[in-house]
Amino acid sequence: MKMEDMPLSGPDNTRLEALAHDIYSELVEDACLGLCFEVHRAVKQGYFFLDETDQESMKEFEIVDQPGVDIFGQVYNQWKNKECECPNCKRLIAASRFAPHLEKCLGMGRNSSRIANRRLASSNNMSKSESDQEDNDDLNDNDWSYGAEKKTKKRKSDKSQNSPRRSKSLKHKNGELGSGVGAESYKYNYNTGISYETLGPDEVRSLLTTYCVFLQQCGVISEHTKKMCTRSQRCPQHTDEQRRAVRLFLLGPSAPTLPDADAVETDSFDIPDPQPLMSRLQWEDSDISPTDSASSKASTNHSDSRKPKKKKKPSLPLNSGGGGSGSGSLAGGGGSSSQSNISISTKKKRPKLSAPPISSIYDDLA
Amino acid sequence: MSPAGCPHVNGFKVDNWKQNLRVIYQCFVWSGSAETRKRKAKSCICHMCGAHLNRLHSCLYCVFFACFAKKHIHEHAKSKRHNLAIDLLYGGIYCFMCQDYIYDKEMEQIAKEEQRKAWKMQAHQAMALLCIGEKYSTWEPTKRELELLRHNPKRRRITSNCTIGLRGLINLGNTCFMNCIVQALTHTPLLRDFFLSDRHKCEMQSNSCLVCEMSQLFQEFYSGHRSPHIPFRLLHLVWTHARHLAGYEQQDAHEFLIAALDVLHRHCKDDNGKKANNPNHCNCIIDQIFTGGLQSDVTCQACHGVSTTIDPFWDISLDLPGSSTPFWPLSPGGDGSALNGESHTTGATALTDCLRRFTRPEHLGSSAKIKCSGCHSYQESTKQLTMKKLPIVACFHLKRFEHSAKLRRKITTYVSFPLELDMTPFMASSKESRMNGQYQQTVDPFNNDNKYSLFAVVNHQGTLESGHYTTFIRQHKDQWFKCDDAIITKASIKDVLDSEGYLLFYHKQFLEYE
Repeated sequence: MKMEDMPLSGPDNTRLEALAHDIYSELVEDACLGLCFEVHRAVKQGYFFLDETDQESMKEFEIVDQPGVDIFGQVYNQWKNKECECPNCKRLIAASRFAPHLEKCLGMGRNSSRIANRRLASSNNMSKSESDQEDNDDLNDNDWSYGAEKKTKKRKSDKSQNSPRRSKSLKHKNGELGSGVGAESYKYNYNTGISYETLGPDEVRSLLTTYCVFLQQCGVISEHTKKMCTRSQRCPQHTDEQRRAVRLFLLGPSAPTLPDADAVETDSFDIPDPQPLMSRLQWEDSDISPTDSASSKASTNHSDSRKPKKKKKPSLPLNSGGGGSGSGSLAGGGGSSSQSNISISTKKKRPKLSAPPISSIYDDLA
Repeated sequence: MSPAGCPHVNGFKVDNWKQNLRVIYQCFVWSGSAETRKRKAKSCICHMCGAHLNRLHSCLYCVFFACFAKKHIHEHAKSKRHNLAIDLLYGGIYCFMCQDYIYDKEMEQIAKEEQRKAWKMQAHQAMALLCIGEKYSTWEPTKRELELLRHNPKRRRITSNCTIGLRGLINLGNTCFMNCIVQALTHTPLLRDFFLSDRHKCEMQSNSCLVCEMSQLFQEFYSGHRSPHIPFRLLHLVWTHARHLAGYEQQDAHEFLIAALDVLHRHCKDDNGKKANNPNHCNCIIDQIFTGGLQSDVTCQACHGVSTTIDPFWDISLDLPGSSTPFWPLSPGGDGSALNGESHTTGATALTDCLRRFTRPEHLGSSAKIKCSGCHSYQESTKQLTMKKLPIVACFHLKRFEHSAKLRRKITTYVSFPLELDMTPFMASSKESRMNGQYQQTVDPFNNDNKYSLFAVVNHQGTLESGHYTTFIRQHKDQWFKCDDAIITKASIKDVLDSEGYLLFYHKQFLEYE
């Protein structure tokens, strides 16, 4: 209908209404037309079908709303075994233990200063790169191998020469260590010097055994059993000469003289240079003790007590009851003491124990 | 020639056809200016029957308008052999030989350009209400994309009942504070759109760009995987860039939010290298979404001179009743609460109460006299904080952890918060009317600037030393989900509103083009 035909000024409301209605219907029609064009274009250009989804996919991603399962229909708490690769050290770590691992890995945790100092202390012996150090720090990392693995490692360390960590450290050492990581404490290969990082718990135990020997026991190595005599210093089977020889052999010329038979107390010994020794001993503590990780979580003064130069007398492994200090003692690894022939439970021992420095051994035999 | 085109256009595409076509579009289809509109209204009538309506078409070969409905244009086409006509309403081109509308690529290109020009002109001339600016054009697949889509008919369509976009996060060892913030960020609509449309162009050389990792995170969330994601790389990057957060211990979620936004902002800034000359006006996505302006007015009591400073903020920390600093009494009046539809029941603190307290004029006391630049003397003053510019996403931090000299505790007072929040009473612009005693703000239904909707709530259960964070997030407008590390479950709005609330995320309801 032509617009001009409509009398605009008519007072009749119906005409106005009709006009309005016309405009309205035209607008609606235009809008519908627009939609038609869109659809037409979509079909012609070929993308109209894009909206369609297949039923299968729709079902797959439907939200589930039932008790006991999450929205994907999965039961809670089944994600315990997830692993991820550490961006720093490239090792596979259990996901739920990633944060503590990363903390140590990046050197920003509470214990990291201790680890760093250990590194510094043993850097005299080491000619290795930093990465190895870190590697070996994680050897002491009890996080992802909490408990179980550690224990088995203790018992099987002799047999499991092909355990991943051991073989790694061995490989890195350019064959320095070689063999000789057996229980026999006096058979070390010292090429350019050994570092504690490379020693497994067993070796360290042996080393500690050595110290115990000098302090209270005979220590002469029997020809038959190839083991050290555990009798007292006044053992009738062996002579003082033999005892001296053993000490000389193992510790070098600065080995302490044999004490008097009466003086079981060992505070007569003076350590020529206690510091490197103490730091090494400290390190050894932590290596063996599995209480380390537990205490690192619970205790807040862990980092405080871990000063490298501090004379941690109570923490020497000879005091098996010294677990309270949190530095870990051999008592923590009950299995360890059973393996060595020396009873380490000498609670009588005064805290102020002394032992010759290790460095002298290696220097001599280097 | 595209499949939607036709061979008959070739007859048209001779000589100066492009210009001719443009003229037709400019004058008779999309009128940008008032004169063209007038001209169109007056001249576009059917040459045969004189009608204005009925789907007028114009012949492309000669000046002839005729209506489609009555087939007048068809007659013209047959008699003159002019096979193409254009629809004056939508600009579609009809081919009489094919007897269908055809879509020729070149011609469509011209049409699009002309339309854009016309819209721009309209925007210039139109009143403020009709700020059109640019016409929104939907995405269309290219030929290659169409092919790919046809070969791969399986689709993932995000409907309202779809799990895509939701994913659990494994707790890496006391990292629930990180997980809850990640959930909130990945469900921020604007941020999601930014990252899913791949807008981040990384210019960092090393592999340690947090924005890239964020982008990757969105990909993981929308991948459709059902197993929870392990955000170990994110943790590593955050620890590398925000040292104060590093370490295997429980951290505060709010601290993490600020640190994360800061690192993202720094890494984003590298993108806008050219604009970095003005560090305060960074235009990165983080600033666009999260940064607001807090106005601080200090009024001198003597000369009533006001000194104003505006500081940027990413979140608003609100004191709660029950802390050692006194909460009540506030400035009298009920502004805010009535506006937000809450009844001011005694005992139940509302978010708006906290906001009112935050924006109240505070007498600074005689110990804190400041030098007034107006009267050049040390005077007592009042300070008032108001919102100068609200961010698109407003984050409210309820200060539940009290670290005063004597006590360190968690304040577990229940604070009710609304689903929809109107921030008008707390704006700087409303300050004057408040001070003049007009506490009741008339609601302006057309002013949508300050209306916000809740989309994420972070909750903390436990004590100051140790606890657990969970998040409620909103998806698909009205669905809420509870994210508890690796477990995502559906939640009701009631669950959300009844929860304690520690961090509240509100999103602007209406976004305007700038």
